This record gives sequence, C-alpha cells and structure tokens, in this order.
Amino acid sequence: MLTSASRPLVAAACAVLGAACTGKKEASASLTHERATDASSSPTTFVQPGADKPGEWVSAGRDYAGTRYSPLDQITAANVANLKVAWTFSTGVLNGHEGQPLVVDNTMYVTTPWPNITYALDLADAHAPAKWALAPPTVPASKGEACCDVVNRGAAYGDGKIVWNMLDGNTIAADAKTGKQLWKTKLADIDKGETMTMAPLIVKNKVFVGVSGAEMGVRGWMAALDLGDGHVVWKAYSTGSDKDVLIGSDFKPFYSFLRGQDLGVKTWPPDQWKIGGATVWGWITYDPETNLIFYGTGNPGAWNPDLRPGDNLWSMTIFARDPETGAAKWAYQLTPHDMWDYDAVNESIVADIDIDGKPRKVLLHAERNGFAYVIDRTNGQVINAQPFVFTNWATGIDLQSGRPRYVPDKMTRQGVIIRNICPSSTGGKDQQPASWSPRTKLWYIPATNDCMDYEGTAVSYIAGTPYLGADVRMYAGPGGNRGELVAWDPAQGKKVWGVKENFPLWSGTLVTGSDLVFYGTMDGWVKAVDAHSGKLLWSFKTGSGVIGNPISYLGPDGKQYIAIYTGVGGWMGAIASANLSPDDPTAALGATGAAPDLKRYTAPGGMLFVFGL
Amino acid sequence: MMRALVIAGFAAALVVGCQRDEGRELPHGPPRGVAFTAVSDTAAGVIPGIHPQVVYGALRNPYTGNAQAERDGRQLFLMYNCVGCHGGRAGGGMGPSLRDSAWIYGNGDADLFGTITEGRPNGMPTWGGKIPEDQIWKLISYIRTLRTKAEPDPPPPATQPNR
Repeated sequence: MLTSASRPLVAAACAVLGAACTGKKEASASLTHERATDASSSPTTFVQPGADKPGEWVSAGRDYAGTRYSPLDQITAANVANLKVAWTFSTGVLNGHEGQPLVVDNTMYVTTPWPNITYALDLADAHAPAKWALAPPTVPASKGEACCDVVNRGAAYGDGKIVWNMLDGNTIAADAKTGKQLWKTKLADIDKGETMTMAPLIVKNKVFVGVSGAEMGVRGWMAALDLGDGHVVWKAYSTGSDKDVLIGSDFKPFYSFLRGQDLGVKTWPPDQWKIGGATVWGWITYDPETNLIFYGTGNPGAWNPDLRPGDNLWSMTIFARDPETGAAKWAYQLTPHDMWDYDAVNESIVADIDIDGKPRKVLLHAERNGFAYVIDRTNGQVINAQPFVFTNWATGIDLQSGRPRYVPDKMTRQGVIIRNICPSSTGGKDQQPASWSPRTKLWYIPATNDCMDYEGTAVSYIAGTPYLGADVRMYAGPGGNRGELVAWDPAQGKKVWGVKENFPLWSGTLVTGSDLVFYGTMDGWVKAVDAHSGKLLWSFKTGSGVIGNPISYLGPDGKQYIAIYTGVGGWMGAIASANLSPDDPTAALGATGAAPDLKRYTAPGGMLFVFGL
Repeated sequence: MMRALVIAGFAAALVVGCQRDEGRELPHGPPRGVAFTAVSDTAAGVIPGIHPQVVYGALRNPYTGNAQAERDGRQLFLMYNCVGCHGGRAGGGMGPSLRDSAWIYGNGDADLFGTITEGRPNGMPTWGGKIPEDQIWKLISYIRTLRTKAEPDPPPPATQPNR
C-alpha cells in the first residue's frame, strides 16, 4: 500500500519508465520450427495408451483418461512390506522434480527440470544405462521467468517419438530409439514471461502443449502441433475474442453466464485481457468416445482483483475442445473473478461412474479452490461439487447457476488484509495429480490444508517480470496438519477416509490393480497405503522431499516396479530447494509461511527411485 | 568516468525508448484509482544480453544512512516487481533471498549496482535503462535495511492461527 508521501516518487518513476519503456513491439506470431530433413510428416501408426499394455506408462497420466491407475497387481497388501529399492538414478539437478517418467518398450524416459535433459534408460540391463540423453541448448535466463521453480511435468510418447517442453519455450521431439532430435518448435517467448513446464499429451498425430506464466502477465494459450514435423496446427488463446479463443457456432456451455459474444474481452477492463494470465500449465486428458480433449486455465492476472472487475473469462475455466480443430465445445468457469489465485489447471480425469443409479460420463476435477467437482463431460454440467479440504471462501457451488456462493468477508481487494482464507493460493490441491481406481470407485486426492492472509497491492506491468499485485502469507489450516491424502467417493460427493500428513501433500498419487495407493511426502517419505482404508502398509525415506508422481511398470523380468522422482522444490518446496528465508512468510508468493520448517526435514536432490519386491 | 558511462548508457536507452514510444497511449489503465500503472509492454526488455565489461568498483551509494531513501527504496522494490521474484520482504522465491548472508555476485555497493544494472545470467533482469540510477541506489539502501531495526515494512509476524 502506498503512502501519500511516496506517491510523487512513484509517479515520477512511472513517468520516466513510461517514456522510456512503453515502446510496443509488433505482436508477431513468433512461431518458428526447425525440423530434421528426413522427419516423417505423416505418422501412420499410433500407440493408444491404455489397457492393452498394462506394463507400460506411455503418457503422463498413464492413459488418455489420466487415471494414474495401473492394472498391475503383483505388489499386494500382503507383500508390500517387502518392497525394496531396486535401483536409482541421479538426474544431477537440484530443483524440484514434479512430473513422472515414462516406460515404453523396456525403456524408461526421464525428463529433468531445467535444463530439461531427457534420458532414455535401458531397463533390460540391470545397470539401467542410458541408451541416449538429449540436452537441447537452452538459456539460463529462462529460470528467471518461472514463477514456481524451474520444474518440468514430464514427456509424452507417440509414434516412436518422445516429446517434451523446454522451460525456455521450445517443444522438442526426439526419436525414442536413438535420441535424435526430429524437430523443435519455438512457441513461448521468455521476454514476455512465457515459459513451458507442462507435460504434453499426444493424441493420434497431434501434440497438445500449453504456456506457463500467469504470474508474469502472460496471455494464456494452448496449441496443437503436428507430431510428424512440429508445425502449429491450431492455437487457442484463453482470453480475447471468440475468434482467438476458437469459440464458434458449436460452442454450447451449460451455464448461462458463459453464453455471449467475445466474453474473453467483455469480462475484463479494456485491454486487461491481453496480460490476463489464464495460462495452460496443467494436465490435458482425452476421451476417445466424445472425441474431446479437456484442460483447465490458470488464474487471471494480476492477483489484485481490483485491477480486473468482471468474471475474467476464460481464466479458471475447463475447456472441452475438438482435438482436430481446437473448436471449443463447452467450457465451465470454476471461480469467476478469482480473488485468491485458485488456478483451474488441475487434471480432469475421464471416468464413467454410476450416480443415483445411472451411468454418467464424467470428469473428476479436484480444484485449487477446495471443491471436488464431478462434471458431465458431454456438456459441462456440474453434477456435484463438495469441499475436500477446509474451505471458507465460498459456502458451496450453486448447481443451478454453476457459480460459487461467495463469502463476502473472504473477498480480497486492494489495500486491505483479508485474514484466514481457506484454502490458500496453493490450493486444496495444486497440480500434483490425483488417481482414480475403477476397482474401488474411489478418487485419491493429494490435498493441502493451508489458509492465508491476502492483500491486493498495486503492481506495474513490466514485460518479463512478475505481474503479481498481492501480499500473501500462508499457514497451516485447522488441525495443524498441512497435508492429507483424501479418498473421495465422487458418486456421493463425500470423503471416505483421509491420511493426515505434516507437510502439504505435494506428490501425485498412483493406485494399482491390487488396491494399493502410492504417494510421497515433502519430507521425503514414499508410502503405500491400502486403497480401501488408508492403512499404512509400507514406507521408505528418501534423501529429498517428494513432489513427483509415482508410476508402476512391468520390467523385462516380468516383475512389477514402482518408480518415483524425489527432489524437493516447486512452489511449496522452494524454501528448501532455493534456500529461502523462513523469517519472511511472504516469500515465494506466500508459500514460505506455510512450510518455514521444511529445511529441517529435507534438502535438495534430484533422484529417480525404483522399488521392487 | 565510470559513472558517466553508466549515465550515458541510460540516456541512450531512454532516447531509443522515446523513439519507439511516440504517440502511443498506455495500453491498460487501472480501473479504479489503483496507483501503479502499466509501465511497459515491450518484449524487448529485461533478459540480460551481452554487456560491455563495466567496472563499478569505485561506486558508493550516495544515500547511505538516508532513512527516506530506505523507505523510498521499499516502494521501488514493490513498484519494479522485485517483490514478485525476491519475496514480499525479500526472503526470496523465483529469485534468491536478499535477507540471508549469501551473495552470489557480491554485496558491496558497486556489486549490487552492477547486478541490478546489468542483470545476471540466471534470471536477474537487466534494469539499466529502465530504473534511473538514483532509484537503483535507493533500492540498495532498502536492501541494506533487511533484518535490521530500520527495515521499512518488515515481515508480518509468523503467527499460525490454526496451529
């Protein structure tokens, strides 16, 4: 907050900067791509991630649906106590290891945080030597544009290619067998604060990727690239005109507040949508039956809501799009006019469940805002939405209008500290993905139980620097446990059991065909619990905190393994990986306040751990 | 002479900026009296490039011990978005903490001036030509107050109401 005495100083500074620095560079389609001359441009065969290869993990969420369910069942409640480290691999990177490896054709693909090296490890050899490693050239300056550590959420596999995003804004495709780079497409511009951290999804001959940087005044988008040569087939912005958002005549949102022309412009103050965030940095899923891809958009920028009266569409929105054309079929905005940084980028798991005796085609979406949404994926209607953590910014979601019932006392604004808002900005759950078991019919949500004080603050837009506008301080929610593994019944919209954790639960979850749930903790434990009861069956302490996502695969020896990255970091873990100062609870956009003690429990260290019987 | 070089560089950048800016309005004014406005939407900005080897060794902060400069520096720390990277009270985040005793590029006056002016390769933007020299010194004045009794707007108490 500015004092009157300081205003002239700031005004003078703005005047200087305004004169010096508002030169506008023509908005150019800065899309370039390089391709190897012999790259095939028309792939003829596609791997269908799914149940046909139960021993593989070919996509970030294992399958198109993003279930993170492995049908493997050799490791059971009866023998999991004997689980031991089979082998390990150091990535040599000390930043936060989000994401997960892939396993295809007896090869494990490991993609590191910046500098975004991908290794192909030979599982057929007990030493797991690298068949190849590809470290595309990259610029260290990109590290300064990443809001929440220089993470990477993994690669994708399709048609003999491994595809991943570089923090510096390039998408890379390499031959899965040789590591030869096949193409490289530059999509994001770090000069504007754009980076890329998400795991691509490959469906048929297209690679879907999105941009990060809603804390930097980026205008969000997602793009479809041709798997054969990397050229951009379509690009859909998250804000702006219907034309830019790829909203056309077949766009049919369920709720009336989402109907109208150019809402991506009209729900913002003039031109604010151009720097309005709504980036696409989370997970993408696909349903072959409805032929739709699903993904969520991030927070509107800046965090100070007074800068952007209106619903701020299409921030905080789940989109369903035609993968061929990008045309939006429906959309649902979870938190209109976000005042808390509750991005909607979390995964939308594709599931078929019975609700009130009827089979329903749904999405399972556990949102940062604390509500677990079950949404009809054919039309975007919310079937139920109940809080899965302590939540007090809204009393519920109105199923008629689709809008939250906001609590006026928790609405943030400039110059006022609003206290004890739950959940905090890091959410009831952040990007770390949940899993869904078609056997137990339960949804395993890695949750965070934090609250916060939040004050909107003045902010300047300076390209390539944080466009934040909030002073935030987080702390543990009711009960004091900052994390919880929540088993949720989506048909009933209620919690079945929970396992409390001291630190925010910042890893993804894996559920197996033998009804075990695996996850990791920020203080470095990898755990297995009974999927029916949450009973702890096995645990192992690694050297660094876990924010990665466990996977399961079948080795060439026919045995089931569990693999997971360790390596603390990310938004919540930056205090340990970047050695932040715990005496500033507003550091790391307020996350430091929630885990000031983390450095006592863990230290940086990027590793792959593989466990077997 | 060294200072002259810096000032000349700043002036040159200013001239270039003005030429680019001719006849243009700010793209997005704040809707209801919010103090800070857009200062730049240029993409030709803050990523460090190749810089001439400028030696700042003789520079001293002219505002050393000036309490008003320290308070002004805090406001500038907010205004130039330093807060987004280095933390609400400079405890770090995207960028390193400035509250601890570790200084990657040195903590002499001239070191800090050089770091802010030229940027550093691992993410520190280039602020030379964007922040006037006297304001850089005020920022340094603020940084010097961290963890002292003189710190303007110190961290809020680390109370945990729910524990």
